Amino acid sequence: MRQRGWTNLWLHAANVAVIAFFVLPLIAALFGALQSEKSLHADTRGLWAPEWTLDNFRVILSGGAQRGAIFEQATYLPDNIKKIHFALINSTIISVSVTLLTLVFASLTAYTVARLRSRWVMWLMGVNVFARFVPIIVLMVPLYVTFRGMGLLNSIWGVIIALTGFLLPYGIIILAPYFASIPAELDDAARIDGCSRFTVLVRIILPLSTPALASYGAIVFVIAWNDLLIPLILNNRAEFMTLPVMIASLVGDMFTFFNLLMAICLIALAPTVILVLVLRRYVVQGLSAGAVKG
Amino acid sequence: MPPLMKPFRFGRELPPGVLSFVMNIPTLITLSLVLAYPIFYAAYLSFHKVSLAELRRGVFPFVGLANYERIFNDPLFLLSLKNTLLFTGLSVTVEILLAIAIALLIDQTHIWTSRVTKFLILVPYAVPPIANGLIWSFMYSFEYGFLNRILFTTGISHSAVNWSGDPSTALIAVAIPYIWRTLPFAILLLHAALQGISHELYEAASVDGAGAVQRFWHITLPLLRPIIVVILVLRTSFAFAVFDEVLAITQGGPGDATWVASWYSYKKGFAPPFDIGVGAASAYVLAMIVGLLAIAYVRLIYRRIN
Repeated sequence: MRQRGWTNLWLHAANVAVIAFFVLPLIAALFGALQSEKSLHADTRGLWAPEWTLDNFRVILSGGAQRGAIFEQATYLPDNIKKIHFALINSTIISVSVTLLTLVFASLTAYTVARLRSRWVMWLMGVNVFARFVPIIVLMVPLYVTFRGMGLLNSIWGVIIALTGFLLPYGIIILAPYFASIPAELDDAARIDGCSRFTVLVRIILPLSTPALASYGAIVFVIAWNDLLIPLILNNRAEFMTLPVMIASLVGDMFTFFNLLMAICLIALAPTVILVLVLRRYVVQGLSAGAVKG
Repeated sequence: MPPLMKPFRFGRELPPGVLSFVMNIPTLITLSLVLAYPIFYAAYLSFHKVSLAELRRGVFPFVGLANYERIFNDPLFLLSLKNTLLFTGLSVTVEILLAIAIALLIDQTHIWTSRVTKFLILVPYAVPPIANGLIWSFMYSFEYGFLNRILFTTGISHSAVNWSGDPSTALIAVAIPYIWRTLPFAILLLHAALQGISHELYEAASVDGAGAVQRFWHITLPLLRPIIVVILVLRTSFAFAVFDEVLAITQGGPGDATWVASWYSYKKGFAPPFDIGVGAASAYVLAMIVGLLAIAYVRLIYRRIN
């Protein structure tokens, strides 16, 4: 029994180490976001800040209108911070549209893979397995030239189209096996009752596939929300930036201090972290089912 | 699965072949616009001179292999490839070792802290890579970073460490956040595979007198091997394209210590002098390397299915 006690102690210790590693960056970000630049500089050795403030969040969420105590004397505030509401709106519109579009498109294709099984559809499925390996940067060079010609640079639509195309293969890989696992007898019964194949998909397959749809929807939302490279290359005007692009635009800015940056990072990571924790079960299933991009 | 025997003919319904085409129209249009066409167009661009002036005129002069010659004669490109390889080797190796350990740890469901770990596993997965990079950049900060504060407060060291500013360790400084963010994926896959291993195997081994270490070497590890290979291939091909963390933490620096392949293509194509042809050529080299990995992966998957 004594042996067992020691083993458990070691296991607890290992868990504490792992948990510390996982939450350390979040604690650091919170620590940076809740103090002023002055207090970050005042004490550069201690962990506990001399004073705490919510002014960083206040100034960001009000778009620079409410400066609060710590920015009262600031003469410089990056222009992009004043346009943060564009980034919040754009990120939301883009992630939601991409999630809905990929769900619809992938369901249609997955149904043909699971039930109609034409040879070329199976071939399309093979292409999808292959497609997720293509590094985004390889696609972005030609997409930039093409979208430039189509007038899709600096628009929400260009990003939505590119992300939808990029995330569609994952969906087909996750959904097709799930649809195939639903007994075909259900289809047959519905068809005898006079349903068309399309009605079978909408009325029978999709309602029975909510776990798979939730898995895939959550994963797509997270990747779309987090993606940097696609909107970074396609959109460079502040009105069309997403949150990650806005964050990236502040990286090179010597006058933007970490307190402000940490607050923006926390605002950017909150929606996806909460979503993933709420839909944890589905995300886990989706990731292991599709062995998708991490 | 044999094709379905249709009990009735539906006069007004499209035949399956046509129907599957119609249902695939949205996917086909999107995939050809965003995946298929760009892949070929990238190859086309890599053989042409494309920079701002050509973009404005809309004429791209053919230059043959000149773009490829330029990148392979560019020490910076070769360095970027070398850095990419180092980065990938380091991050994937560490990640798989850590992931195996943590997957075994969260499998100990009788330990309550393991259940906490399991709950938190997904958090890094959800954090935007650019935010992750920036947060670590704050932690690394030489003057007032969080890591140095920890060193001072705990008394481990009294002089500040320049975590990401030292060329010899900068690549590691980029790899740690990358490992942090991508670890959940590997842990989840391994954990799912662990749960598929039958308890009877372990019991039988215990009866035969095998200790915990022997059970791990002779039962767990061999049974995990297929999924480890899958993770290895997937993670390697994604690590080859690392970009966000480099942008956030080092921007290729200090000096050129953390120039990686994606960063090279991005800087050549989308920063002055906007040499898109060279960007396309360098990105294509990356695609070729990853493509070989993809072929290995597809083969592997099909072997497992058959």
